[in-house]
Amino acid sequence: MPSDAQDLKLPAIRGRVAWVFDQPDYDVDQIVGVKNIKIQDLDQLAAIAMADQDPDFAARTVPGDVLVAADNFGYGHPHAPPMRAMRHLGIAAVIAEGFAPTYYRGEMSLGFPQIACPGVLGLARRGDELEIDWDRHLVVNHSNGRSLPFEPPSPAECRLLALGGHLPALKAALGV
Amino acid sequence: MGFTMAEKILARASGRETARAGEEVQARPDFVLAYEFPGYTDQFFKMMAEDFGRDTLDAPERFAIFIDHMVPSSTPAEEQVHQATRDWCAKTGATLYERRGIGHQVCVEEGYAAPGAFVVHYDGHVSQIGAYGALGVNLPRRTLIEAFVRSGVDIKVPETVRVDLTGHLQPGVMGRDVIHHLIRRLGVKACRFAVLELGGPAVATLSDDALQSIAGQVMFLGALSCLVDLPDDRLAASAARGRIRLPDLRSDADAVYRDRIALDLSELGPIVVAPPSPADTRDLAEFEGRPVQVGYLGSCASGRIEDLRVAAKLLDGRQIAPGFQLNVVPTSNAVMAQAAREGLIATLVEAGAFISAATCDFCYGRIGTMAPGQTAVSTGTLNVPGRMGSTEADIFICSAATVAASALEGRITDPRRHPEFADAV
Repeated sequence: MPSDAQDLKLPAIRGRVAWVFDQPDYDVDQIVGVKNIKIQDLDQLAAIAMADQDPDFAARTVPGDVLVAADNFGYGHPHAPPMRAMRHLGIAAVIAEGFAPTYYRGEMSLGFPQIACPGVLGLARRGDELEIDWDRHLVVNHSNGRSLPFEPPSPAECRLLALGGHLPALKAALGV
Repeated sequence: MGFTMAEKILARASGRETARAGEEVQARPDFVLAYEFPGYTDQFFKMMAEDFGRDTLDAPERFAIFIDHMVPSSTPAEEQVHQATRDWCAKTGATLYERRGIGHQVCVEEGYAAPGAFVVHYDGHVSQIGAYGALGVNLPRRTLIEAFVRSGVDIKVPETVRVDLTGHLQPGVMGRDVIHHLIRRLGVKACRFAVLELGGPAVATLSDDALQSIAGQVMFLGALSCLVDLPDDRLAASAARGRIRLPDLRSDADAVYRDRIALDLSELGPIVVAPPSPADTRDLAEFEGRPVQVGYLGSCASGRIEDLRVAAKLLDGRQIAPGFQLNVVPTSNAVMAQAAREGLIATLVEAGAFISAATCDFCYGRIGTMAPGQTAVSTGTLNVPGRMGSTEADIFICSAATVAASALEGRITDPRRHPEFADAV
């Protein structure tokens, strides 16, 4: 196991805000619609992600984009396909006022950065360019020049993000 | 400052003198539980061999696998999953419980809920073993593999929110009403990443079944798990059933809690959780009279003997409403056998109920599947669209008493309107 998580390189995150989920307690199943959560095909899932809200969402999203969300994002009984679809579109991180635990732990275990940043709803609008400054623990909005501190991940969470998720981190820890 | 039960349990399990909320520790689970399900256990078996080169378990007596979903099989593929699980358990020495009931209940009957034990699963409802003093924590889906391939799992020691219960439940009001009332009163974020510790004088007035129903649903408060501060006699009874004996690990009087809340049970009435969200908790009165076609009395949350007794009390000598389907699913074989000995099964069947052997399958709509436009009253764990079949069917979560009363009327009905509970209205 790496003895010092600070030595691990965390993923560079800089991209546009692809969507702002401004509703608290958002159930991520709504991203693809509950009736579609059993779809396995990633292209199909990605094509319908947020399509009810914006038919051009998939076409407008580019790799590196991020999502911004209100508090307790991921509440409910979150299934994996909606965020698999988002990652398939290239979404690099979710920056929320706060997260629901089951969702948060599940996505972080896949190495998908979930960044708790109280106040982020007031910081960024759709289309703004955000950067995660891991050294200063700041979410920087390059579109309006403002920034806000985020809650730094714990050392174990940094390992997950640096190594790409729980399985590679566990393999690294066990030397296999 | 003192320590909470959760801090003490995780300190012991990680071999430390103390552990404080917020610290990251590597804790050795006393028991590793899982139910067999495609994409879960079958993946663990595969990952163990292919990713970690392991085909043995460290102290296999710590591991229990429950075949409680897809029971009985309805396709050859389902039966192949069962057979692979049987083979894997035989090879590794993990204990297999098949067709014994829902694992979260069977594990209690089999002594895995030993007071002070640290138990992991990938299902959040494992928190219900907190009703017996054990800390049951779910690890995200595939991360439970960690418990299969090394002795300890990484865990951040959680904070604790203490809820002190006073008063006494009115007749016709059950443990299910208590947990949903807590969700409404405290909000869905109140216990985020924390353990909910239930204590106070009213704990002694609540049955094991009621406490288990409350403890099993704390995920809807955002809680990581639940622990009940039991009276001495209840703790001793739980310890006597436990597979392992551990030191008494009560919270200290000066333990540090994130928050401390009091709740008077006497003030509570029946509650329903309205579709489509587990957060939409309302007084039953708001929906009273709404037509319902399906009733489900079962699940790991509420299919225990207390629930069956209440239902039988209401249905004794009566008939459920024409066209209403009432599915009654005792949580385990032991519960079903007890219900049979008490004559409850005969009462329920004579009233028109369909009785199933214990299985998880009604809870997620594999059987007893609902069609578009139907509405259910359910003691299942969840009411999100599609949970019991069609995404266009509505599920109202409620207590066993409310399911039974509604089955008689074919409408959502306050159980306290029936003579058995009339003194409470």
